[in-house]
Amino acid sequence: MVPYLPFSAQDGTMKILVVEDELKIADYLYKGLTEQGYIVDLAHNGFDAQHLALEIDYDVIVLDQMLPGLDGLAVLHSLRALKDTPVIMLTARDRIEDRVKGLRAGADDYLIKPFSFVELLARVQALTRRGRKHETTQIRVGDLVVDLLARKAFRDGSRIDLTAKEFALLAVLARHQGQILSKTAIAEMVWEVNFDTNANVVEVAIKRLRAKIDAPYHSSLLHTVRGMGYVLEDRTAR
Amino acid sequence: MFAIAALLVLSLLGYALDRELAVVLRRQQIEQLDTKFEDINYVLERLRGPEQWVRIHAKLDALTPPDRGTQYWILSDDPQIRYGNALAEIVSLSPSASRVGELRVGDRPEPMLIRSAYFPADARHAALRFIVGIDSASYARTRRDFRSVLLASISGGVLLVALIGYLITHWGLVPLKRLSKEAHELSPSMLSQRLMVARLPAELSDLAKSFNGALDRLETAYEQLETFNADVTHELRTPLTNLIGQTQVALSRERSATQLVEVLQSNLEDLERLRAMINDMLFLARANLGERPQQLVRTSLAAEVEKAVEFLDFLMDEASVSVRMKGDAQAPIETSLFQRAVTNLLHNAIRHSPAGSEIIVEVSVGDGQARVSVSNAGPVIPAEHLGRLFDRFYRVDSARVNSGESHGLGLAIVKAVAAMHAGSVFAASHGGITTVGFSVAISA
Repeated sequence: MVPYLPFSAQDGTMKILVVEDELKIADYLYKGLTEQGYIVDLAHNGFDAQHLALEIDYDVIVLDQMLPGLDGLAVLHSLRALKDTPVIMLTARDRIEDRVKGLRAGADDYLIKPFSFVELLARVQALTRRGRKHETTQIRVGDLVVDLLARKAFRDGSRIDLTAKEFALLAVLARHQGQILSKTAIAEMVWEVNFDTNANVVEVAIKRLRAKIDAPYHSSLLHTVRGMGYVLEDRTAR
Repeated sequence: MFAIAALLVLSLLGYALDRELAVVLRRQQIEQLDTKFEDINYVLERLRGPEQWVRIHAKLDALTPPDRGTQYWILSDDPQIRYGNALAEIVSLSPSASRVGELRVGDRPEPMLIRSAYFPADARHAALRFIVGIDSASYARTRRDFRSVLLASISGGVLLVALIGYLITHWGLVPLKRLSKEAHELSPSMLSQRLMVARLPAELSDLAKSFNGALDRLETAYEQLETFNADVTHELRTPLTNLIGQTQVALSRERSATQLVEVLQSNLEDLERLRAMINDMLFLARANLGERPQQLVRTSLAAEVEKAVEFLDFLMDEASVSVRMKGDAQAPIETSLFQRAVTNLLHNAIRHSPAGSEIIVEVSVGDGQARVSVSNAGPVIPAEHLGRLFDRFYRVDSARVNSGESHGLGLAIVKAVAAMHAGSVFAASHGGITTVGFSVAISA
């Protein structure tokens, strides 16, 4: 089966400014984000970025820290003087001081190069969703119902017996249904593990969850997107 | 250097001697003058009548030496009393003039030192002034001679000290020169070369020994770096070869979209692995450069171990192993670093434990350090491997190299985390139990 990145209809026509001087990165970000349904503007240097960011109201700005002309932090400073547009900083220097500098200057999030596109997408989505907080207590994915309040899951009307961690994993996937979550993101959200590890915990956990929520039923809801992560969604309707 | 020091010291000494000599000579002169003055003064005070002047003049004539080194004058309005060459200056001397004065006499290069006494007019004679003068030429000559001898000795002394100094430095520095030459010949291509300590004087042998110590440490570090570079090249080459080869094969023929997607996915997996490896190597490099944790929090180590155990719960379940925890300690740690280290240790233990066995995690305190040790049942690791377990890319079982599950940096990261917390690592393996662990400092 050919996996695909699901079209994020819920984000509608959100506008994103991508500021990146590395053309290859700018190109694939443009392509990837456009295919996700975003309207993407590109800027390759700090001056263009500053101009665009101040002229146009973007929903998110993806801002590289190292830029020719005006660097990312300077762009951020001049933007923050006038606007609250959410900003994700991209930085190659993964030193803590740089992150702190970026966040202190008013960045909403940061990503360290080399970063994965899935990761960037997840953060863009998190920032664009930030505005509307209608946290539901029940999430429905196909015939799967996840009751976040009672911490119970049902499929096809019957209760699925899950351990606490399995439920936590399912809840995270359900909250982001239709969105690919990387192993790193899952480890962070379920176990609060924010470091790299070789341990294939997420794979094992997904395998177990799949055995409970998918295996006994006719259709699968929990999909592996090889090399990128996992997504919970109902694909039968397509 | 020596010459300047000698010049300074000798000049000061010479100046002091010269001053002292001047004072002594002056005192002697005055004493001499006083004696002569008192002699005549005595006669004059006991003067009985004018008839004696002839006798006094004769006596003064007799007392005046041929070189006229001592001279007498009697000044008076009465020509019968007057004696010696009357001089304008002498006439003008007032009675209140100081006891001892100087007098320039026309034909003499040096002034004469004089003492005078005034006798007012009385029944026996008219007013008169009596003066004794002694020539200071001989004293001045003595001083001049002394000065020239002094100057000659100072110059000689300075030259001598400079020469001796040069020789001392020259001979004294021979070993240092040799050291410098040896040090100059050190090169990266001959890392095992050391400075010769045997023939050095004590002061230098310490220096040479510490220098050799530094060379030892450098050699070790250099060798580690070399191995590391070789390892990195090897570790990166394998996935890169896969990526290039696989992609070339895929592109060499018309492929369906599904096939191409599969290649891309496989590539992505390799690329993700490369990314993880590069991130870990960056982390190790920064730790090696002495980067310290940013946010130390004093907390229960057992509680942090618990979190790592919880994270690995599914894996332990899969491998049918259980964990038992012992002890606790409080220490300042950066929790994510600490958890990362414990996770790596536990993950290692899980992978090497036989099914059904128990892994023991013990937290203990000793020597200002909190120790976390992870013990698991399993094949004994030979002693020659134990010491190198924490080396980057070191694997006991070289067949596991491409297992894909581990890139061989796990324990190196544990070591780096320990170092960042001023701790160390340890490993032991006997009786079918392997214990690997690390420590962190208890006080920040």
